[in-house]
Amino acid sequence: MSKRETAAAKEVQRQKLELDPKYIIKLTGTLLGISAVVALLLGVVNQVTAPIIEEMQAEKTAAAMSQVLEAEEYLPLETEAEGVTALYEARTGGEPAGYVVEVSGSGYGGAIQMVVGVDLSGTVTGVSVTDHGETSNVGTKVVESEAVLGQFVGMSLADGEITVNSGTNRFDGVSGATVSSRGVVSGVNTALAAVAGLAE
Amino acid sequence: MNFKKQLKEGLLTQNPVLVQLLGMCSTMAITTTIFNGLGMGVSVLIILTCSNVVISLLRKIIPDQIRIAAYVVVIAGFVTMVDLLLQAFLPDIAESLGVFIPLIVVNCIILARAESFASKNKVLPAALDGICQGIGYTLVLLVMSAIREFLGSGSLAGQQIFPSEYGVMMLTLPVGGFLTLGCLIALMQWARDKAEKKEGK
Repeated sequence: MSKRETAAAKEVQRQKLELDPKYIIKLTGTLLGISAVVALLLGVVNQVTAPIIEEMQAEKTAAAMSQVLEAEEYLPLETEAEGVTALYEARTGGEPAGYVVEVSGSGYGGAIQMVVGVDLSGTVTGVSVTDHGETSNVGTKVVESEAVLGQFVGMSLADGEITVNSGTNRFDGVSGATVSSRGVVSGVNTALAAVAGLAE
Repeated sequence: MNFKKQLKEGLLTQNPVLVQLLGMCSTMAITTTIFNGLGMGVSVLIILTCSNVVISLLRKIIPDQIRIAAYVVVIAGFVTMVDLLLQAFLPDIAESLGVFIPLIVVNCIILARAESFASKNKVLPAALDGICQGIGYTLVLLVMSAIREFLGSGSLAGQQIFPSEYGVMMLTLPVGGFLTLGCLIALMQWARDKAEKKEGK
């Protein structure tokens, strides 16, 4: 037999082996076994970590909520306003003290998640960013700076919509981070509009 | 196969980033602060070592035709575990590394080492290979993030050294990643060339 014929014979043999049901079952079985073991292990790890992660996220949101508007309890309210993830009525001693709105504004690096505190007269009491993907040292000068976000305190829709670097209801953006500035402003506007929508 | 030789390969002659050019995406993306670089490096080191050990153990059980699928399942399992554990116990690191932890699954360093080393060697050398390659990767990340953090935002490991206003902002952006990595690779090639010439003499 020439070399080519031997190679061809080998190829035929290999193909036969690959078509052999036993071999196919072995392949499937092995992969299934490996996947099953991995899935089991993942399940165990998830069992351990899921409650911890959930608790931490709840704590983080609670901390952000009490930072923007101090109150004893926060009751979730139904809302259909666009861009609003959740809306809470803040109560102290059973009396309503204002609202806390979870909104997302669109920033330079995806959505900027934030909570906005609004008092009963529709004035902002505080803004806190909980999650964002802004560029470090550019967008973060907006979303991580208390001085910049603090500008919102005392603003309301009474003077018209908040606008960046212009208009009567003016928010001073950070130069170089215009998109991030617009993102937080649109978030606050959405929150104020959602609260105003409640009163109607 | 001995530890010294493997360590030298991981750090210098076969450095995963600078010589094999693997895992570029994460290298570029997360090396903006030393904290991130260290977190990512150590995560990869752990996942690489674990997956190397398991793949080496399974090397005779896994049929050739489905080896890639089997490797990916094993690697994805470890990555998800590390991701969940980080989120639960080291939330700060998990937050700043964000999507890049799940993306370790497709980090070619891990699949490349599984394919080219772990699947052909015994457990102990495979584990050592994971550790050495992991150290090599971590070191490059640390050097890169130190350069970018210091020149880009004027701090080292979070300690402000000069006001961030005077930093070269470009270096913290992706552009800076390419520039820094390019310089480091050039430096590495130069050093290897020199060493080879020396040996030749």
